[in-house]
Amino acid sequence: MGTKNRIIFHIDVNSAYLSWEAAYRLQHGATLDLRTIPSAVGGDATTRHGIILAKSIPTKPYKIQTGESLYSARLKCPNLTVVPPRYHLYMQCSKALVSLLEEFSPSIQRFSIDEVFLDYSNMDIHWGDPIDAAHRIKDRIKEELGFTVNIGVSSNKLLAKMASDFEKPDRVHTLFPHEIQGKMWPLPVEELFMVGRATTSKLHKKGIFTIGQLAISDPELLTQWLKSHGRLIWQLANGLEDSPIREDYPVKGLGNSATLPFDAEDRETSHRALLSLTETVAMRLRDIRKFAGVLSISIKDRDFQSYSHQRKLEVPTHSTNILYGIACELFDELWQGQPLRHLGVRASQLHRDDLYQLSFFKGDIERQKALDTAVDKIRAQYGCDSVMRSSFLYSGLSPMMGGVIQEEEYPMMSSLL
Amino acid sequence: MKVYYYNRNYGDFMKVLMKPIEMIAWFTQDGLPTPVRFRMEQPNGSYIVIKVARTIARQEEKLAGNPMITFTCQSIVHGMERLYEIRYELKTCKWYVYKI
Repeated sequence: MGTKNRIIFHIDVNSAYLSWEAAYRLQHGATLDLRTIPSAVGGDATTRHGIILAKSIPTKPYKIQTGESLYSARLKCPNLTVVPPRYHLYMQCSKALVSLLEEFSPSIQRFSIDEVFLDYSNMDIHWGDPIDAAHRIKDRIKEELGFTVNIGVSSNKLLAKMASDFEKPDRVHTLFPHEIQGKMWPLPVEELFMVGRATTSKLHKKGIFTIGQLAISDPELLTQWLKSHGRLIWQLANGLEDSPIREDYPVKGLGNSATLPFDAEDRETSHRALLSLTETVAMRLRDIRKFAGVLSISIKDRDFQSYSHQRKLEVPTHSTNILYGIACELFDELWQGQPLRHLGVRASQLHRDDLYQLSFFKGDIERQKALDTAVDKIRAQYGCDSVMRSSFLYSGLSPMMGGVIQEEEYPMMSSLL
Repeated sequence: MKVYYYNRNYGDFMKVLMKPIEMIAWFTQDGLPTPVRFRMEQPNGSYIVIKVARTIARQEEKLAGNPMITFTCQSIVHGMERLYEIRYELKTCKWYVYKI
């Protein structure tokens, strides 16, 4: 299909976690809509997860940032209402959103828990003009599911995503190639997709402050300076992007991390935390039938310094015990003895799990496999807490840590899928 | 005895309660639930059993992706004819008095 007649929608839920919580509460008889007052979804400060995850639009004048601590948010806005997160609700809302969108197009990509791309190309035969259809979709979501979305309409995914970010909430915006100069180029360069903090400060140093300035820069110079990323952001600034809607996105890696309820000060506690994370990661690997080829761990100490370490495995595996052993070795090589508040385990270079190299030196893989299969079956039937390692008893640690998920392609998704 | 009618059109007369209740319901072969009789705790801690005399309307919704059926029903409560709404939450199989 030519890129000329592609029509892509990007559907973005307005303050997703908060809107979903508000809709759920209204359905359960609440009389107050959280979206109409300064409110936020925040973690539990007593287990040290006290950061702002989402905030309502009335918090705007208080300049509260997503990710800042509850303590500093309350200083800025003393009457802030904070509600705890409910990840299963978010998953449920996200699923309901996707199933509603599936009525409009067969080609849908879930980009994250609250963002969806929808390919509307040639769908005007069924649903009419794209802008009208976008309004209809938006209104149906509002009426049936009780939350609002922004829909960006354009000819590729990047421009649609930029468009949905314009004015919020409950709006449809277009950003077709002929509108780039007027609507996208005046924006600050950090608003552009793929331009993060590090790139922003580099660009600022060279006097590039808007997307327009980046777009008219010499792509050759940018490539020499920032390598392939330079060319990529130059293309994005010019609205050049033609990736297809991926219905079945290949998972490149998966991992879990968690902030501990208390600082881990000794090796044993840290190992136990790694075991808990490995349990979750390995179970997810087995669930998608992949072996990990590379295992990496990350730690964050009391002073918020982060370190990571990784190793390519001699024999790819998804066995909890083997991965745990490697995680511990990595940890012992990395750790300097400082108290830790946050640990993470991540698997990448995933391989299919139906073929593997047998090894003389690595014990009996079949037995490990049988054990993991049995544990997974019990957990699937009777719940994750039905079988746990006794080392977690009275340890203050959950036997399977990592509730929200760090994943490259599915940010914050799949441990709930 | 005086009979008060709280008409559906005067929904404002009904107070939002959203109180969980114990329910006996009748499910048809097609899976269509209908409330029959329920027991509700009263503010003073005692229980009241209400027989659903008539189910006037049923409405399905799925706010926040959570399917619920709202029934508008009629019963005699404390000697008065009352119109009220009860809700059935499909995922949890819980019944609530929504408005009364």
